Amino acid sequence: MTKEEKPVPLTKLPDVCVRCATCMAACPVSRVTPRFPGPKQAGPGAQRFRSAAEASVDDWIDLCTGCRLCDTVCPAGVPISEMNMMAKAKYLDERGRTFRDWLLVRSDLFGEMAARYSKIVNPLLKKKVVRWLLDALLRIDRRRALPAYEHPTFRRWFRTRQAPKGGGPEVAYFYGCFTNTNETDVGKAAVEILEAHGLKVVVPPQRCCGIPRLGVGDLRGAREMGRWNVDFLLRTVRGLDIVFSSTSCGLMLRHEYGPLLHLPGAEELARRLFDICEYLLGLHEEGKPAATFQPIPLKAAYFAPCHLRSLDIGLPALELLRRVPGLDVSLVEAECCGLGGLYGFKKEKFAIAEEIGKDLTEAIARMKPDIILTDCEGCRMQIRHLTGLKVLHPVQLLRDALERQGEEIHRVPVESFNYLG
Amino acid sequence: MKRFDLIVIGTGLAGLTAARTAIGMGAKVLIVGRGMGALTLFGNTVDLLGEIPPDTEMEEGISRWIASHPEHPYARTGWEGIESAIAAFQELFPPPYNFAAAGRGNSLLPTGAGTMRPTWLIPVTMAAGAAMTPAETLIVGFRGFKDFQGDTVSLHMKCRGVTLPLPRYGLEGLTAPALARLMDETSFRERLGEAIRQQMAGERFIGLPAVLGLRDPAAVLKTLETITGARVFEIPMLPPSIPGTRIFHRFREELIAKGATFRMGHPVSGAVVKDGRCEGIRIDNPPLVAEYRADRFILATGRFLGGGLWAEMERIIEPVFDIPVFQPGERGQWFGERFFEPEAHPIHRAGVVTDADLRPVDTLGRVVLANLRAAGSILAHHQAIEEKSREGIDIATGFLAAKKALAL
Amino acid sequence: MDLQTEVLIIGGGATGTGIARDLSLRGIPSLLVEKGDFTSGASGRNQGLLHSGGRYAVNDPDAARECIAENRILRRIAPHCIEPTDGLFVSLPEDGPEYRANFIRACGAAGIDTLPLSPREALAMEPRLSPRIIGAVQVPDGAIDPFTLVVENARDAESRGARILIHTEVTGLIRDGLRIAGVRVRDRITAEAFAIAATWVINATGAWANHILRMAGLQIGLALSKGSMLITNTRLSERVLNRCRPPASGDIIVPNDTVSILGTTSLRAEDPEHYEVTPAEVTFLVDELSRMIPDLKGERFTRAYAGVRPLLQSEGTNDDRTISRGFALIDHGSCSGPAGLVTITGGKLMTYRLMAEKTADFICERMGLHVPCSTHVQRLPGAGHGHTLKDRLLRLRRQTPAAKGEILCDCELVPREAVDAILREGKVRELQDILHRTRLAKGTCQGGFCVYRLLGLLNERSKADHRGGSNRILKGFLEERWKGIRPVLWGRSLKEEELIESIYKGLFNLTPAEPGGPGGGEA
Repeated sequence: MTKEEKPVPLTKLPDVCVRCATCMAACPVSRVTPRFPGPKQAGPGAQRFRSAAEASVDDWIDLCTGCRLCDTVCPAGVPISEMNMMAKAKYLDERGRTFRDWLLVRSDLFGEMAARYSKIVNPLLKKKVVRWLLDALLRIDRRRALPAYEHPTFRRWFRTRQAPKGGGPEVAYFYGCFTNTNETDVGKAAVEILEAHGLKVVVPPQRCCGIPRLGVGDLRGAREMGRWNVDFLLRTVRGLDIVFSSTSCGLMLRHEYGPLLHLPGAEELARRLFDICEYLLGLHEEGKPAATFQPIPLKAAYFAPCHLRSLDIGLPALELLRRVPGLDVSLVEAECCGLGGLYGFKKEKFAIAEEIGKDLTEAIARMKPDIILTDCEGCRMQIRHLTGLKVLHPVQLLRDALERQGEEIHRVPVESFNYLG
Repeated sequence: MKRFDLIVIGTGLAGLTAARTAIGMGAKVLIVGRGMGALTLFGNTVDLLGEIPPDTEMEEGISRWIASHPEHPYARTGWEGIESAIAAFQELFPPPYNFAAAGRGNSLLPTGAGTMRPTWLIPVTMAAGAAMTPAETLIVGFRGFKDFQGDTVSLHMKCRGVTLPLPRYGLEGLTAPALARLMDETSFRERLGEAIRQQMAGERFIGLPAVLGLRDPAAVLKTLETITGARVFEIPMLPPSIPGTRIFHRFREELIAKGATFRMGHPVSGAVVKDGRCEGIRIDNPPLVAEYRADRFILATGRFLGGGLWAEMERIIEPVFDIPVFQPGERGQWFGERFFEPEAHPIHRAGVVTDADLRPVDTLGRVVLANLRAAGSILAHHQAIEEKSREGIDIATGFLAAKKALAL
Repeated sequence: MDLQTEVLIIGGGATGTGIARDLSLRGIPSLLVEKGDFTSGASGRNQGLLHSGGRYAVNDPDAARECIAENRILRRIAPHCIEPTDGLFVSLPEDGPEYRANFIRACGAAGIDTLPLSPREALAMEPRLSPRIIGAVQVPDGAIDPFTLVVENARDAESRGARILIHTEVTGLIRDGLRIAGVRVRDRITAEAFAIAATWVINATGAWANHILRMAGLQIGLALSKGSMLITNTRLSERVLNRCRPPASGDIIVPNDTVSILGTTSLRAEDPEHYEVTPAEVTFLVDELSRMIPDLKGERFTRAYAGVRPLLQSEGTNDDRTISRGFALIDHGSCSGPAGLVTITGGKLMTYRLMAEKTADFICERMGLHVPCSTHVQRLPGAGHGHTLKDRLLRLRRQTPAAKGEILCDCELVPREAVDAILREGKVRELQDILHRTRLAKGTCQGGFCVYRLLGLLNERSKADHRGGSNRILKGFLEERWKGIRPVLWGRSLKEEELIESIYKGLFNLTPAEPGGPGGGEA
C-alpha cells in the first residue's frame, strides 16, 4: 500500500472515495440497467448510510455480479466490490437465501453425483419439461444453456491414468469443480502441457474453492471451504508450486482467502499459487526446459476474464499464445461476459447477463475468429450460450500445438465437445 | 522475477503516452496504474495552452510562453518536442475518429455550463462545436439524464434548447456510459436522430451531451448528421468522461497489441533503490507483493487526485519514491482566500522539479535517482487548469520522458 | 406595501421563531422579519447538541437544571428534530477520577440521569474511543437539527396567523415621540423598501442585538464569541462524546446524520458578519479531540464552519428583567430608552423555548392578557415524521423512472422530488434557501455534482420566465462553499477539491471574468 493507505476498516472506506465516478465507466451492470445504482453509490455511497445495528435495505445489492472491474479502475483504491460483498452478505443473512441458491453453491455435493450418472442426467437436462420445471420451481432460467456432465471425472481420470515415466520437478494442480465434472478436457490438457514442460503433476485433495458462496454473500460457508483447502493444500503440497486453470478459483484462493476471509495460512498458500499460463510463461521466459509448439494456422480471439483482471498478472495466456507459430491471436475488445458465475443462470438476472454479454458477442462477431479462447469456465459457458461458437481454454489449444516426438498425445477433437445448447 | 526495459508508473495520459512511445522504440514495457487519470475528468480534447488567444498561432504563442516560463514543463520539451509528441498522438487516432486543430490557434468549444472553453486538438465528434453560431444551434438534452443540463447550456449560450425523452421506455436516470453504449446501437440512434429532426427549426448545428458512442463514435456522428441534415457536436459533461474513456481504450488496445504488460488496479507500494538508482518496484495485491525490475522508470502518477502527490497536514510528499516535492509555503498559504482568484491557487504549482531530461532533482538541483524520470501532472511549476494545458503537458512530457529514458 | 402588526419580531433564529410560535399559540398574531434565511445566526452555526445539562452540572447547577428541563420538553414537542443518541462524558487519566465523582453527584442534584460505565463498557459501546480512558458516564444528550426545529416553529406560527418575511432586512426604527412605532425594512432580493408599523418591536437578533439597538441610539453590553467546528465525512460515534472535565475548548463530538461535528473553540469576535475558521483553530481541534478519539488525525474532514455567540456581560447591561443567568429580556422603555422595544439576547439554542416563553409572558402582561404558555406541551407540526439514515438509503431502490426517484445528490441521496416539493411551497427565493432545506451538497463532495444538476433543474423552470442563466449563482455557491472547505484542505479533502476545480474551472471553464472573453462564465 502507498503511504496514505494503511489498511482502512470498512466503515472508513467512504472516506477514501473522492466521488470521481471513474468506477461508473467500468461497471457492466449499471451500464445496462438502472436497477443497479452503480459502484459509486452501491459501495462507498451507501456505506455512509449503513449501520451494523440496523437491518439492511439494499435489495439491489444482489445485482452486483462481483466482476471487480470497479476495483481495477478506482484511482483512490476503494475496494468497492468487497464493500458490496459485505453488504450483500448482511442483506442475505437477514433475508435468507433461496433453496436454489443453497443448492447451486454446493456443486461439490451434486456435481460428483451428476457426473457419475451423466448418461441419465444429461439427456434429462435437455428435456423441455425438465427445464420448465427447473424454471418454475427453482427459478433457473430455461433459456440458459446448461453445461453437460462428464464421466469419468477429471480426478478419476488422473488417478487411473498411466502417468508418463521419468521424474522432473513436481507441481501441484488445483483443477476446480467445473473442470472436474463438466470440462475434464481442460484438466487433461493442463496436465499434459505441464508434463510436456518437464514437470511431474501432483493432484492434491481439494474441494470447491468456495467462490460461488461469495456470490450469495455466504462468507461463513466460504470460510469453511477455504479453511479445508488451505489446510490440505499446505499439508500435502508443502514446498510445491500450485497452478490453477480457472481464473475464478485462482482469485479466490490467492486473494480472497487471506484478505477477505482471514484464513490462517492463506498468505503462505498464496505465495505458492500461480495461474497456469502465468507459470508456463515464466518457464519460457526463464529459458527453463520448455516445450515447443508446432504451427496452428488459426485466427484466435482471446478474451480476458474479469477475474483475470483482478488477479492483475497482465495477460500471460495471450503472451503464451503468441509463441504458437501461425496463430493469429488478438485480444477481444470487450470488458465482461456477463455471466457472473451463477448469476446469469438465475431467472431474475438472466436478462441483465444477456444484455451485458451483447457487447462481447458483437466484438467477437466483428473479429470473425476461427476459435475463441478464455481462461474462465464461466466466460466459456457464456460465449457458447450466446454465440454457439467453439470456446476453449488456452491450455487446450497449447496442448494441441505441442510438438512431441513419438508419443501419442491425447487430443480431444474440438467438435466432440459436450455441449447442450 | 520479471524484468523490463522500462516501467511506467501511471495509467493516465502521460503514462500511456510514455509507454506507447517506448514500445515504438522497441522496448519491453510494463505499465502499472490505477484509473484513467485526467481522462475521466476533463473534456478530453487536447489542450496545449488555452491561455493563448485564438488569433495567435500556436507555435508562436508557446515559444513566447516558454521564454517567459523557464520552469514550466514546456520549457523541458520545447516547441519541437510538443509538435512531435502531438503528431504521434494524432497518429493513434486515424480517421474517421481523428483529432485535428480547427485553426492555427486555439478554438473555442461550448461546455456543459454554457460557457466557452479554449482548446487545440478536437476530435471529429466535437469539431462542429468550434464552428457553431448560437443563432443557428439547437442544444438537445434528455429527460432524466441529469449530468447534462441542456437548459443551462442553451440559456447561457443564447441558443434554442429542447429536452427530449429518450426513444425507449425506462431509460430515465441513465448514466453516461449506459447512454453512450446505447448510441452504439444503430436502431437506437436512428430513432434519436429522427426525434431530434422533428424538433428542429432550421438549425444548422446540433449540440448533444458527450455520449456519442464508446466503440464507434464516428459512425454515431454520421448517422445523426445524415438524419438531421445538420452538423452535430458533443459537449463534455460531468465525469466520467466518455471521450476520455475512448482515448484510454484506444491506448490500452494499442499497448496490449504491441506487447506491453498492463497492470491495473493495484498501487505501487514501494521502490527498490540502490546506489542512487532505482532497481525495481513493488506492487501490492494483498496478500502478495510482486516485484518487477527494470533499467528505467517513469513516474507519471498524477497529482493529488491520482495519488501522485499526497498532502499531510503540513507537508506534501511523493509517496512512491519519496522524491522531494516543491511546495508553496505552509498549509495556510496553499490556497487563496477566494475560490475564484485572478491567479491560480499556489498549491497548483507544487510538484516534482526536474532537470532538462525530466529527471527529478532535489532543492540543490541534484538528480535524485539516475534512471528515474517524471512526466505529466506531477511536475511542478505549471497550473493546468488555469493555463488549459492538461493534455498537452501529459502528451509532451510523456513522450519526452520515454525518448530520454531509452536514449541511454 | 406598508404593513401593520401588533408585535414585530426581528430575527429568524430559534428565539425569534420561538416567540412567534408562542404568541400565535396564545392567539396573538405577529410579524417576523429576518434578513437572510432562517437560522442565519448562531442557531444555524452551532454543534447541534441537545444538551443534557451535564456540561454545566458542576459549575452552574441552575443552568444545568434549566437544560435538562428543556431537554425533556424538546424531546416531547419536537421528536422529529432530534436523534436521541445519548451521550458519554469520558474521563481521560489527566481529567482525574475526582471530577468524575463530582460530575455524577452534580448531575444527580440537577435531576440529570446518569449511568456510570467502566472503560470496557464504554469501549464496547464506542470502539473508537481512546483505550486510555478511565471511565465514562452516560447522560441523556442528543443530536438536534436546529434548522428543522426553527422551520417547524415558523410553520406552526404561520398556520396560526403569524406572518414571516425572510430576506427582509431592518434598515431603521421608526420613532413616534418616546415610543418605537415600527421599523423600516428592505427586501434584499427585490430591493423594495417599505415600513411596518407595530406596537411592540422585539429585538431577537442574537449577536446583532446592538446593530439594531444602534438605530435607536442604544447599546447593551454584549460580547461576541466565535466558536469553530469541523465536520467529518463519516459518523465517528453513535453517541455524543464529551470530555468529563471543567468545560473548555475542544471538548465535544456530536453525531449528526451521516457525519460528526467536532467542536469547539471560543475566541473573541468583533463582527457578527465577518469571521472565519483559522488554520490554528483547525490544528487545535484535531489535536485536542484526538485525545478522545486517537485516530482522528487520519480522519477526513469535509468542511469547517464557525458561529458567533452573543454573551451577556454582567456590567453595563442595565437590565431590569434578567430571568435567568445566561439570557436577558430587556424592556428598554423601563431603562430610560424608548418604549415599545424589547431585546431578548444571550442564551443558547437549548433554552430558546424558555426565552420565547418569558418574552411572550412579558408581551401578554403588557397587553393585559392572561393566556398561559403552551409551547412546552404542544407538539411541533411535523412531529412523528422522523426519518433514519436507513430510510434515505431506501431511495436507491426507487431510482427507476416509474418510481420517479431521480437522485440529484449522490452523496446524501437527495431526490429531485425533495427539491420540487420545496419549490412548490413557493417560499424559497435563492439557492441557499434550497440548500438549507435539504441535505444537498452536505455530503462528501460538498456539492460537486449536485449543484450543477440542481441549477439545471432551476434553469429548466426559469426558461419560461426568460430570466438569465444560473452561472452567476453557481459561482456564488462555489465561493460560499469555499469558506467552509478551505480550512480543511489536506489529505483526501484536497483530492476532492482537485476534482471540483477540474470540473468547474477546467471542464466548465467558470471564471470570475466578464462575459464575452474566452474565459466564459457569466450571467
